[in-house]
Amino acid sequence: MKAAAFDYVRVRDLDEAQAALARSEGAKLLAGGQSLGPMLNLRLARPALLVDISRLDALKTITEMPDAWRIGAGVTHARLEDLGERLTGARLVGTVARGIAYRSVRTRGTIGGSIAHADPAADWPLALVALGATVEIRTAGGGTRAQAAETFVRGAFTTDLAADEIVTAVVVPKRSAAARTGYFKFCRKAGEYPLVSAAVVLDPDRDAARIVMGALPTGPRDFPGLAAAVLRDGAAAASEGAIERAVDDALPGLDPVERRMRASAVRRAVLEACA
Amino acid sequence: MTVLTLTVNGEPVTVDVAPRTSLADVLREHLRLTGTHLGCEHGVCGACTVLIDDAPVRACITLAVTCDGQSVRTIEGFSDDPVMAELRTAFSREHALQCGFCTPGMLIAGRDIALRMPCAAPETVRHELSGNLCRCTGYAGIVRAVTTVAAGEAAATARAEMPTIDAPVILSSDAAPLATPAPRSAPQSSGTPASASPGVAPAGVTRFEEQFVIARPPAAVWAALTDFPMVAACVPGAELIEHGDSHVRGRLHVAVGPVKAAFAGSAKVERDDARRIGRVQGAGSDAASGSRSRADATFRVEEAPGGSRVVLVVDYALQGTLAQVSRSGVAQEIGRRLVATFAANLDAALAGEAAPPPQAAALDAKALLWASLKAWLRRLLKRPPP
Repeated sequence: MKAAAFDYVRVRDLDEAQAALARSEGAKLLAGGQSLGPMLNLRLARPALLVDISRLDALKTITEMPDAWRIGAGVTHARLEDLGERLTGARLVGTVARGIAYRSVRTRGTIGGSIAHADPAADWPLALVALGATVEIRTAGGGTRAQAAETFVRGAFTTDLAADEIVTAVVVPKRSAAARTGYFKFCRKAGEYPLVSAAVVLDPDRDAARIVMGALPTGPRDFPGLAAAVLRDGAAAASEGAIERAVDDALPGLDPVERRMRASAVRRAVLEACA
Repeated sequence: MTVLTLTVNGEPVTVDVAPRTSLADVLREHLRLTGTHLGCEHGVCGACTVLIDDAPVRACITLAVTCDGQSVRTIEGFSDDPVMAELRTAFSREHALQCGFCTPGMLIAGRDIALRMPCAAPETVRHELSGNLCRCTGYAGIVRAVTTVAAGEAAATARAEMPTIDAPVILSSDAAPLATPAPRSAPQSSGTPASASPGVAPAGVTRFEEQFVIARPPAAVWAALTDFPMVAACVPGAELIEHGDSHVRGRLHVAVGPVKAAFAGSAKVERDDARRIGRVQGAGSDAASGSRSRADATFRVEEAPGGSRVVLVVDYALQGTLAQVSRSGVAQEIGRRLVATFAANLDAALAGEAAPPPQAAALDAKALLWASLKAWLRRLLKRPPP
């Protein structure tokens, strides 16, 4: 199908973008367009106005700070994939980027667009929560606020972003050299959205651990008790029974197949991190 | 219409297009470069893969207006490219094409793999090509061809001439520290308790159960739930078109993220006033997205500490475009949000507070799709007036 008609404006800076968003009720930001594009073509989305921020260089910088990486919202998955190992202390970012959809999607899709879109099965909402990342947001008045990734994503396609706010960057804290990570997702076909997913970050030197489940309609869900046990006792704390109990506590009443798949995703991610 | 300038296969081109026009349509319809094929038109099949500023992209989900000033290379633009020449030979040798529909996309994606991944193993090539579908299922030959070329001389030479990976990392040890994260709000709770017994829905049908407590006696709640206009007024995005004792017609507007849908439909309503049990069966469709939904909902009102408990069980099936997008229980989640909002509105209405706006914004900011939800809700609406 072809997209329904809409107006289009390519803005020169974020001020213009926010003015355009404020002006038109049906306005929608366009970054890489890799989620919005299909929705436009299927006519599921029919915005009155697309505000194109894909050319804003200000959103494309990657800055290494002493204790974190600041990744501009307009940075593509492909660029993070190519940086890979160079993202010292945050290599999981490159790993996750490499697994998103296909190269011809990664060359345009952006990290900021992905987390603002908040598809429940997407990689970044899950990975950024596990990494303890912070979302940097430009507010209506031109100010900046920062919000932890776990409270930024509030559910399927739902974020804490106000209509005239724009994600400008994500800030990923660096982990110590001793940190280990695991990431697992099950997709029926390579590159498709996963049915279940999980991410694990263990950083014994910083006494920090996160085990997070993704592909949930309510947004990523973390397991602090399990994470603390795994940090303390290693893989031994992540027996099938322990993980299934944690899954049952978090998500009572799952059907047996889904319960098993979710527990397996968590276990595989934990075992990778403990390997 | 918007005038834009592109460089296509090395030639400057100016076209005047509507903003909604995809790059693929500009290439095919305006420039008659029909080597770029359109298969799925929503970014799944890869047949429309072209290069923009040397990076592979899907032309079907790339708006032409966003490419203004950029350089596009289509399958017609590789006649002097040594890597593509090797790929063409390899495709012939390995019988890597049958009907040829996927071939332009396969060649451009294959060339990109050869340039990025020296000596890629067949498994790697297979994985990297997973975004390009061949309906003749000729993958074995395609993978062999790309694997050979990735290990070949033309690709090695081309890689040596490529600029090193663009890594515009700004190293700054004195970057301003980030403001302290200040979570503005807690994660959203589901608003209503999850059902204790999920039950089992028939095959192909998804079951959704929800319940909420209203601080009013059961008789009052039952009366409200069987008052169609009142129910409609409390359901975000609902619009009551017409109703009788046992039927209802209406529309439900749902907005989830960028997705908006308006399901029009009708349903029949059965009720047992003595037992305070009702059943609504109906169907609806969203013409714009070509989606349909069916639902069969039962509801009952029972005594509960502090008022009445409303228990709702909905079996629904969703077909069409929206169904393709529905994953990970999104429909159920949106249903939960809808019911939570409905419960709050009903509570307020019964408490004699200002009636909710006649047509609450469709699922406020957050709502998204779910047609199905709408459908059930509609069914809810359908309850005949006492």
